[in-house]
Amino acid sequence: MAKKYSMIINLAKCIGCQACTVACKFQNNVPEGQFRTKTPANGLKGTYPNVSQYFVKEACQMCQKAPCVSVCPTKASYYNEDGVVLIDVDKCVGCKYCMTACPYDARFLNKETGAADKCTFCYELKVSNGEKPACVSTCVGGALMFGDLNDPLSEASQFLAKHKGEVRKPELGTHPNVYYIYEGVVK
Amino acid sequence: MKRRNFLKGILYGTGGTVALVGGFGTFNNLDSNKAEAASQDLETTVFSSCEMCRNQCPIAVKVKDGKVCKIEGHPNDAAFGGVICARGNAGPSLLYDPQRIKKPMIRTGERGEGKFKEVSWDEAYTYIADKLYNVKDQYGGEAIALASRKGPHDWFFRSIGKALGSPNVFSHEATCPMTRSVALETTFGNEAIAADYANTKYLISIGRNWFEGIHVAQARAVSKALSNGAKLVVLDPRFSVTASKGEWLPIKGATDLAFVMAMANIMIRENLYDQAFISQYTEGFDKWAEEVKDKTPEWAEKETGISKEKIIQITREFAAAKPKAILDFGWRTAYTPNDYQLRRAILIVNMMIGNLEVPGGYYTTKPANFLKSFSDQAAYAKGLGSVAQPSFPKASKGRIDGTGVKGTPGQIIPAYDGAVGKIAESILTEEPYPIRAWLVHRFNPYISLTGSMRMVEAFKKLDLLVTCDVYMTDTAYFSDVVLPECTYLERYEPIFDMSGLTPKYVIRQPAVPLVYPDTKPYWQIYKELGEKMGLGDYFKFKDMEDYITQQIAPTGLTLAQIKELGVWTPPGMNAFYVRANDSKASLDSVLSNQSKKIEIFSEEVEEATKQGVPKYVSHPQPEEGKFRFVQGKVAVHTNAGTANVPILNELMPTNTLWMNTVSCRKLGLNDGDEVVISSGTYEQKGKLKMTEGIRPDSVFCYHGFGRISPELKRAFGKGIHDNYLIPHEIGEVGNAVTSTTFVTVRKA
Repeated sequence: MAKKYSMIINLAKCIGCQACTVACKFQNNVPEGQFRTKTPANGLKGTYPNVSQYFVKEACQMCQKAPCVSVCPTKASYYNEDGVVLIDVDKCVGCKYCMTACPYDARFLNKETGAADKCTFCYELKVSNGEKPACVSTCVGGALMFGDLNDPLSEASQFLAKHKGEVRKPELGTHPNVYYIYEGVVK
Repeated sequence: MKRRNFLKGILYGTGGTVALVGGFGTFNNLDSNKAEAASQDLETTVFSSCEMCRNQCPIAVKVKDGKVCKIEGHPNDAAFGGVICARGNAGPSLLYDPQRIKKPMIRTGERGEGKFKEVSWDEAYTYIADKLYNVKDQYGGEAIALASRKGPHDWFFRSIGKALGSPNVFSHEATCPMTRSVALETTFGNEAIAADYANTKYLISIGRNWFEGIHVAQARAVSKALSNGAKLVVLDPRFSVTASKGEWLPIKGATDLAFVMAMANIMIRENLYDQAFISQYTEGFDKWAEEVKDKTPEWAEKETGISKEKIIQITREFAAAKPKAILDFGWRTAYTPNDYQLRRAILIVNMMIGNLEVPGGYYTTKPANFLKSFSDQAAYAKGLGSVAQPSFPKASKGRIDGTGVKGTPGQIIPAYDGAVGKIAESILTEEPYPIRAWLVHRFNPYISLTGSMRMVEAFKKLDLLVTCDVYMTDTAYFSDVVLPECTYLERYEPIFDMSGLTPKYVIRQPAVPLVYPDTKPYWQIYKELGEKMGLGDYFKFKDMEDYITQQIAPTGLTLAQIKELGVWTPPGMNAFYVRANDSKASLDSVLSNQSKKIEIFSEEVEEATKQGVPKYVSHPQPEEGKFRFVQGKVAVHTNAGTANVPILNELMPTNTLWMNTVSCRKLGLNDGDEVVISSGTYEQKGKLKMTEGIRPDSVFCYHGFGRISPELKRAFGKGIHDNYLIPHEIGEVGNAVTSTTFVTVRKA
């Protein structure tokens, strides 16, 4: 049975430490000055001394109806058998249509390969070997979860059954596979 | 690609790792100096320990085609679970940085001019040896000072100074946690006390910032406690990331002791403390009760700016959670000159809820020698041995900082650490006698000590300044000799005893051969320097494998085993708390003082400073137009250590000055403005960050920026150097003083 790999980001647990950011760089050989994921602070809310803040991990949202895939003229962007959006570097001509189409600003043109680049959930290097993506396994705050939502027993399914996961920009109908948990943070 | 994935599937698919499976982990057995790049299409794992900060977290280093490609947390250490922080992840970025120093260098121009010539190691050793013997002959061995960031290198580094008859060996601790060490030592006779965060129900931080000053195991434990419903309260003039995960109380700077004393006042008045614990285990409680009698919540509200209702509420909640509650004793504990009394008071309030040696409270670490006296634990007591050294000559003069002198504050300064700030004062004032030569190992007084220009003045007056480090640090830039150390990913070290609730030993071993062949591990540098100086008897080991073998012999482990495991705890042993099952159990083994009591009133402190119980001192507050200057840590950098590490610099190349929006408006300043920060004597320029996340009477910047060594090409000249603005004051027990400076801010 095909998998439905998903990442769950529990915002209340994220400490913005950027361990994920750096782990991703080395796992995926991302060139200097470029990032597949980053976790910036979502601004400070409120007025002194009643303030709040949280961090939001940003990366490809792994849409099930991905604008980047539909606009790609060379079929370089595609869904693999487990629903993960990937890029075939050899097919990519660097036209940047996908970068324009992505509503989450998750793609960039890799300085070294010249091809479009983005988070892959570490599919080839980690997930296909039964491991978790590099960002998830190094998360200091314990904010990141990863698993197959088609498997009701996976940690991800179990967690989402009990907590409300929200996707970013649902109005666009992109059906992301990255879920954000806002419990415990001031949205 | 496909073939590689297939192979990795075999090696990793079962969740094991190469080294543990055995057989494949041949790289583990290669000598770093002889190792040839293992040119294979395989990823191997070398278990070692991190050194991007000084916490030595166990790591799994991934090596492919002879290069470190990635670093992860050690998967088999439950405290880490494969996790490592951003800095730990960034290790390869340091390892392969072309800006590391690669050859020994001797200064050719004026100090601070940055002119050096590359020399051979032999020339460097000869130069240092000649100069050191000149100083010793002319001024005595005591005129040589040594200072290092505390760590396993000390045994080797310090041997040089001690063998020359110098008593003046220092750690960096006075710039960091020393007042808490003083407090622990004088209260328990035991510095090795740690907090069991994972099991606590109530946690109060007084400026402790677990989520930015990251110790991975502690950050994870605090995070776990919060997931389990623990409450977190954070007292800090600034809204830190830690504060954002709990209730933030923006306390007025330098008034923390008032809050803590009021807690004691309330607990006594409302009878919320553990009287049985106090009477069985402590002495001097009556004197403390007397001292806090008038430290009412009303009084504390005026001092701290926190409402009395809030102080009462938090105290009651804290006491209700007893003994699974922690009032944290802090890490970088150097806010005020009398900071050690704040730390003492914190410990006393903890003892009032009897939270020692129980889950969710404080515990003493449980190294092998501790376990010997417990019949049910003795089987786990497999201690490390040591490498024998001849005795060192007795120093002919006392230390420059008065450490150890009875009847003075020096009596309670930890002898291992000393008041490192005193080195510069001794150089400049020649009191009590002049220091003429200073050896610095992986320590950067220019950044780490307050009064940076005082450090520069001192550097310039020396006959010899030697720095051993991985970068041309600001201090190295002023040195006569610069010795290039290899990184932690290229060397062995002695086994670390990292015992917590069980004994734990961790190895550091090379993951790859030397990247720059003329760099060396510290143990080799000081052994060779010692031999050059005729002090070879102090370095009786062949190499580090031999050293480790001598060290682990009593444990029954072999070098090969510890290399394969990376980290070792006694199989089958559970976390051990002395009072877990018996609240009346003896704490004699925990209390290493003579009284065998928790000394709420400490005779030793009374003798040293005439303050056997903590007394409140009211520190000045900034007048209108001035701001208290506070500083802190950020998750992607380590103090003076990482500003130039490529990827960390990329993530955060500079810092800003945080100022409250209301204060900015008053001064007509806006977010992003270039500003001048003035302490009166010194000024720094920086960029303003306008924020609601700080008290209006305080400004803040992250520590470790504003570097003056042009050889730190990425970090040079970027950001605000906090310690440049803070006068070089030495606190009562030798500590740095970080939070009593007031500054003005104007548009640049």
